[in-house]
Amino acid sequence: MSEYVNESNRTLSKRVIEALKEFGLPRMIIAAFLLLMFIVAPFTGANFWTQITNVINRFSWNAVLVLAMVPMVHSGCGLNFGLPVGIIAGLLGATLSIEWGFTGPLSFVMAILIATPFALLFGLAYGWLLNKIKGGEMMIATYVGFSVVSFFCMMWLVLPYRKPDMAWGFEGTGLRTTFPIDKYYGGVLSNFLRIEIGRLVIPTGALLFFALLALAIWAFLHTKTGTAMTAVGSNATFARAAGINVDKIRMLSVVMSTWLAAVGILVYEQGFGFVQLYNAPFNMALPAVSAILIGGATANKASITNVIIGTILFQGMVTMTPTVMNGLINLDISEVLRVVVSNGMILYALTRKSEVTR
Amino acid sequence: MKKRRILFVAAAILLLIAIAACMMVIGRGHTMYFDNKKLEYEGQTYDTYRRINVFVNGEQVAKLSAKDRGMATFMGQQLSFDIEVTKEKGDDPVNYSYTVKVPYKEDGIVLNLPGMIAGLPEEAYTTVFVPMVTEEDNAEEEIVIDEFGMSDVTEGEDTEP
Amino acid sequence: MNGKNTSAPRKALNFLSNNAVPVMFIIIIAICLPMSGFSTTFLLNEIMTRLSRNAFLILSLLIPIMAGMGLNFGMTLGAMAAEIALILTSDWQIWGIPGIVLAMIMSIPISILLGLLCGKILNAAKGREMITSYIISFFMNGVYQLVVLYMMGSIIPIVHTTIKLPRGYGVRASVDLTRIRKALDNVLSINIGGVIVPVVTLLIIALMCLIIVWFRRTKLGQDMRAVGQDMEVARAAGIDVEGTRIISIVISTVLAGIGMVIYLQNMGDMATYSSHSQIGMFCIAALLVGGASVDKASIGNVFLGVILFHTMFILAPKAGAVIAGNEVIGEYFRVFVSYGVITVALVMYETKKRRAKAGMGAQLAAAQREGDKR
Repeated sequence: MSEYVNESNRTLSKRVIEALKEFGLPRMIIAAFLLLMFIVAPFTGANFWTQITNVINRFSWNAVLVLAMVPMVHSGCGLNFGLPVGIIAGLLGATLSIEWGFTGPLSFVMAILIATPFALLFGLAYGWLLNKIKGGEMMIATYVGFSVVSFFCMMWLVLPYRKPDMAWGFEGTGLRTTFPIDKYYGGVLSNFLRIEIGRLVIPTGALLFFALLALAIWAFLHTKTGTAMTAVGSNATFARAAGINVDKIRMLSVVMSTWLAAVGILVYEQGFGFVQLYNAPFNMALPAVSAILIGGATANKASITNVIIGTILFQGMVTMTPTVMNGLINLDISEVLRVVVSNGMILYALTRKSEVTR
Repeated sequence: MKKRRILFVAAAILLLIAIAACMMVIGRGHTMYFDNKKLEYEGQTYDTYRRINVFVNGEQVAKLSAKDRGMATFMGQQLSFDIEVTKEKGDDPVNYSYTVKVPYKEDGIVLNLPGMIAGLPEEAYTTVFVPMVTEEDNAEEEIVIDEFGMSDVTEGEDTEP
Repeated sequence: MNGKNTSAPRKALNFLSNNAVPVMFIIIIAICLPMSGFSTTFLLNEIMTRLSRNAFLILSLLIPIMAGMGLNFGMTLGAMAAEIALILTSDWQIWGIPGIVLAMIMSIPISILLGLLCGKILNAAKGREMITSYIISFFMNGVYQLVVLYMMGSIIPIVHTTIKLPRGYGVRASVDLTRIRKALDNVLSINIGGVIVPVVTLLIIALMCLIIVWFRRTKLGQDMRAVGQDMEVARAAGIDVEGTRIISIVISTVLAGIGMVIYLQNMGDMATYSSHSQIGMFCIAALLVGGASVDKASIGNVFLGVILFHTMFILAPKAGAVIAGNEVIGEYFRVFVSYGVITVALVMYETKKRRAKAGMGAQLAAAQREGDKR
C-alpha cells in the first residue's frame, strides 16, 4: 500500500526507468533490433508490406502454441518444455481425421475433436507425473516430451494407416515424414475472411481463432478456478492453507496446456500447409518457450499480452533477419542469431534470482 | 602454499605448451612426390629411367616406370629414402640413399628423380606441389542448420554414438 | 530399515528396484540377442570398440554428479572445444599421435573458458542446474556455429580447401580425420581370438579412473562431496561453494574435450555441425543404464553402462527387422530407450528427493511435538 502513496511523488523519468526495468534489458534489445530491421528492410529491396504480411502470417501459425505455455506457468509447473506431448495428441487427431476420410474445413474440426480425448488422456498422465516430481518439472518435461516423440516415431511406422495421401505406398510401411494437406484443412483458417490490401494480406480467420482461444484463457483465469490456479503458482503452501487442492489445479493446468498444444499444432499445420511427423516435434518446444519469455513472461508469471508481444517479436526476428541480413551484407547469419537469441533468452529467465520460487 | 601453487600451475602450463610445440614439429605431415620424368636444366636434358623403386624404412612405397609419379607421406621435416634404379632393360639395378629436408610450411614437395640422381643442385629437382582444385572440391556445399524447422521439409537425423 | 530381519525375497526385490534400469536392459538384450544372428566375435569387437570410444567421455560426467550438480548436459561444450581443436590441427596437417596430443592440449584452454562460463551460469541457477546446462549446450551450439561457419577462414586462418568451404570462409560439413584415424587405438593393439583390443586407449581410460579415485580423496574432492551433500553446511564449514562448483564443471568440460578427441580419432571422420549435438544425450543415457542416478555414480556404472547400452544399440536395428520387418523401427526404438532411460532416472531421482524431504519434515514435526510436550 505504501508503494501506492509514493507513486505520486515519483518523477516521470523515474517511472519510465521502472517500467523499462520491468520490461527487461534483453527484451528491449530484441524489440529495438526488430524496430531497426523494419527501418532497414525497405533499403535492402524488401517490400515493407510483404514483410509485415510474413510476420502476421507466422504469428497466426505459432501464437496458439505459445499460448499453450500460459496455464502451466500460471499453476507453477514452469515453462512447458513438454509441449511435444500435446503436439503428438494433435498429430494423432490430424492423421486420424484424414484417415477417416474427412476433407475440407470439416477435417479441421474433426481433427480437433479427435485430438481432444488424446490430449485429455496424455495431459492427465503427464500431469500426474509432474505432480509426483514437483520442483523438477522442466527437465523431466523435456525428456517426457522426447520420450513420447520417439515412441510415436515407432508408432507412425507401425500403426495401420492406409490413406495414400499420407502413407507410404501399399506395403503399409507407415506414414510419410511430411505430407501436404491442401485437400484437407490447409489454409482453412488463414483463408477465412482473408483481407488483401495490395501486398498486405491478413489471415483474419487464423487471427480470430487465436483471439477466441486467448479470450477464453483470459476469461478462465478470471474465474474462481483460474484465480486458484494463479494462487497455486505464486505460493503453493499458501494456496494449500487456503483450502485449494493444489494437485488437482496443477493437473487441470497441464491438461489445458496439452490440449492447447494439440490445437496449436493443428493451427500451425493449416497455415504451413504440411503435416510433419517423426522427428519434427522434437524442436518445437524451445521456440515457443523462448517466444513467451521474450514477451515478458517469467518462469512463473505469464499473461496473454506476453504471448502476443512475444510471438510478434520472436516471429518478427525469425522472418525479418534472413531477408535483411542477406540484402544488407550478403551474409545470412540469421539462423545462428536465432539460436543464440532464443536460447539466450531462456538462459536469462532461468538464471534470474528473483524468479526462483521453489 | 599459495606461491607454490602458482608456481606449480605455471610449470604445468609451460610443460603443456612445450609438449604442444614439440608435437607441432614432429607431427607435421608432409607428402613427398617422386617423379620419374624428363628434366631440362641449363640446356641439358636428363632422361627418364626404365624403372625406379622407392623404399622408405625398407618398405616399398613406389614402383615407377618412365613418366610415373609416386608418393609417400611422412611426419617431421625430413625424409630418408632409398631408391633402386634400372637404366635400361637387363641392366643391374643401382642403389642410392637420400635424405631430403622439407620446409615446415609446405604440404607437399615434388622430387625429380632423374635430376636428383644426376647430382644437380637442390633447386633444380625440387618443386612445391600445388594441388589441383577439382570440380568436386569447388561444388558449393549447402550447410543446413535448421534448429527450428524453418525449411519446408525437415528430415530427421540420428547420429550414431 | 534394512535391518537383519529382512527376508531373502524382500532383499531380492530391493535389489531389483534399486537396479531396475540395468536389469531391464539385460532383459532387452537377452531377448534381442538370439534374433540378431550376430557372431560372438563380431559383437565382442563392436563392444570393445565402443567401450574404448565412449568410456572416457562418460567418465567426464562423474565429477559434477559428485558436486551435486546432476547430469552435466554441458559436456557438449567440451566436445565443441575438441572439435575446434581438431579442425585447426587438421588444417595445420599435424598427423598421427602428435596430432591427437596436440588437439587434446589445444582443447584444454577452450574447455576451461567454456567451463568457467557454464559454471558461472549454473551458480546463478542453483536447483535447476540440469535444465540450465541443457539450454547452455544449445546456446553454445549457436556460438560454435558462429565461430566455425563464419569466423573460420575469415578471421581464424584456414588454409586447405579440403576443410574450407568454396565460398572462402566456414568449415565444410565433414572434416576428414583419416590422418589421425585410430592412431591411438592402433598403438600396441593386440588381437585376442579375433577381438582387437586397443591397449593404449584402454590404459588411458584406466589411468583416468585411477585419477578420479585419487581425486575423491583429495581436499578438493572432499569439498566437492560436501558441497554435493548440502551447500549450506559446506558454506558454514568454510568451503568456497561457488568456486568448488565452478571447478567441478571446468574439470568435467576439460575431460569431455579430451574424451571427444579420443572418440573422434576412433571414428576417423567428423560431422562438423552435428557430431557433438547428441553426444551428451548418449553418454548420459549410457551412464544411467549402468545404474547411476542423478546424485550418485561410480566408475563401475560407467563400464556396465557402456557395455549394456551399446550392446542394445548394436542389436536393436536387427531385432527390429526380425520383429517388425523394419530396421528403422529398431533405430527409433533405441532412441526411444535412450530418452526413456533418462526420463525414468530423472523421475526416480526427483521422487526420492521429495520423499527424503517429506521424511525430514515429518522428523522435524515429531521433534517439535516432543519439544512441546516438555
